[in-house]
Amino acid sequence: MGAPPRGRPCLRACSVPSRAEPSRSRRMPGPRALLGLGLLVAAGVRAGGRCPNRGWDRSWDRDRERCRPHRAMHGPNAGSGPRGLRFLGQDEAQAIDQELFTEYKFSVDQLMELAGLSCATAIAKAYPPSSFTTSQPAVLVVCGPGNNGGDGLVCARHLKMFGYQPTVYYPKRPNKPLFEGLTTQCQKMDIPFLPEFPAEAALIDELYGLVVDAIFGFSFKGAVREPFGSILSTLERITVPIASIDIPSGWDVEKGKADGLQPDMLISLTAPKKAAMHFAGRYHFLGGRFVPAALQEKYTLNLPPYPETDCVLQLT
Amino acid sequence: DRERCRPHRAMHGPNAGSGPRGLRFLGQDEAQAIDQELFTEYKFSVDQLMELAGLSCATAIAKAYPPSSFTTSQPAVLVVCGPGNNGGDGLVCARHLKMFGYQPTVYYPKRPNKPLFEGLTTQCQKMDIPFLPEFPAEAALIDELYGLVVDAIFGFSFKGAVREPFGSILSTLERITVPIASIDIPSGWDVEKGKADGLQPDMLISLTAPKKAAMHFAGRYHFLGGRFVPAALQEKYTLNLPPYPETDCVLQLT
Repeated sequence: MGAPPRGRPCLRACSVPSRAEPSRSRRMPGPRALLGLGLLVAAGVRAGGRCPNRGWDRSWDRDRERCRPHRAMHGPNAGSGPRGLRFLGQDEAQAIDQELFTEYKFSVDQLMELAGLSCATAIAKAYPPSSFTTSQPAVLVVCGPGNNGGDGLVCARHLKMFGYQPTVYYPKRPNKPLFEGLTTQCQKMDIPFLPEFPAEAALIDELYGLVVDAIFGFSFKGAVREPFGSILSTLERITVPIASIDIPSGWDVEKGKADGLQPDMLISLTAPKKAAMHFAGRYHFLGGRFVPAALQEKYTLNLPPYPETDCVLQLT
Repeated sequence: DRERCRPHRAMHGPNAGSGPRGLRFLGQDEAQAIDQELFTEYKFSVDQLMELAGLSCATAIAKAYPPSSFTTSQPAVLVVCGPGNNGGDGLVCARHLKMFGYQPTVYYPKRPNKPLFEGLTTQCQKMDIPFLPEFPAEAALIDELYGLVVDAIFGFSFKGAVREPFGSILSTLERITVPIASIDIPSGWDVEKGKADGLQPDMLISLTAPKKAAMHFAGRYHFLGGRFVPAALQEKYTLNLPPYPETDCVLQLT
């Protein structure tokens, strides 16, 4: 097949193990997850339906989309995460978000900073600068009109601190101090903001080794407004990997989008959403290590333990 | 003109952590100027940088004092928070320590009436981090209950006399035997000259860049944290920061 085209990270050089060789230190369930497993097994198998994705027999709790312990995966390519990990519906995701702000009194600044840092960290683990075939580890960060775009701006800034060369495209910017501040931070760090989106997929492949999709997040509903429809059409044709923040943009937050964006990486923030059950890329990371234990329990998130002080957890 | 470690000398003194060659130790005015520039020129918010700073502190602590190293049944940590931003760093640190599996307890006697600090306090309380109604009366009690104390009382803006209740608190802390991890400046020390008869922390987490006081630091662990200083600012102030490893938010200097 020959060498990968210029601009792409060399897919073989990546130091992150492939799914065929899971890293034990990352995958071994901790005592809490094993306890959960024991309880689930003890509770027995409930009569139920079939896995909607693959038709495998599985028992499920109809109220909660849950992976039962006797099945390792949803399907050959979908990352399903460790046993018991819950995939949230859109309403739940919004409820948890609201509770973090109204009950726990987190500020958007705080959580966005931790979220964006997670994204940059996950990217650096899966696509280290040394894996890029371009002379510089060039990354295009496409930021949407809301909080997902803000996560992207934070991510771009931390990527710069980690030695990448990010470029941002940010066509619709909210008139709010938070987003103005994030933009200034990037600009003052010499992160270029493109005046227009690259006209063709081939140009993106030429210039960048990775694209960060920070367009739409878990609040996305309805139709895609311009310019994002055109942008997504172009992104659907690039060959360099795409890392999506929280939800592959354009996907229904619960049902996915079979003919939509096909990212290589997904960084689920807080907890994965149901759309992640349709994710078929190589890398699924969990980020946003800020969910208090009481909130995890209230929503039965069943999050696996993060390793040591890492702010990300590799699920697949 | 610049307090700089020259390449031919490995250390400032027998015990002081001096860090890599060329690393600059800042005076108080410089430290304040850099801080101001981050907020006024780069438009960072205090929330953002405090979150990254506190996360650095918790990370450094977890690297040097992992939960498994505690001899108490729980990895119990006392976080003493002062009346300003250093105290805020301590609150963020406490919260991340909780996420990392520690059992932090906070003492926070003087709380600013500002949404930032009220929010940080609520976050800790909602995470079941206890706030002591009074400071442990004796050093021996601290040694009994906690395996580590985080000193988040005074930072790089500290000047002049120590007001109560912090004078009494520092007197007690000077007598404990469990390790102390100080955030940015060992509290009570002059930010440039140190304090020979003051607190003797085992760990110092210098934020952004070490201050001159760090030249007098004699503990075992000196970490750099606050991985948010843009390259242009590093160059402007000739910080000569060594590179952080990979995606780590802390760098161990000694």
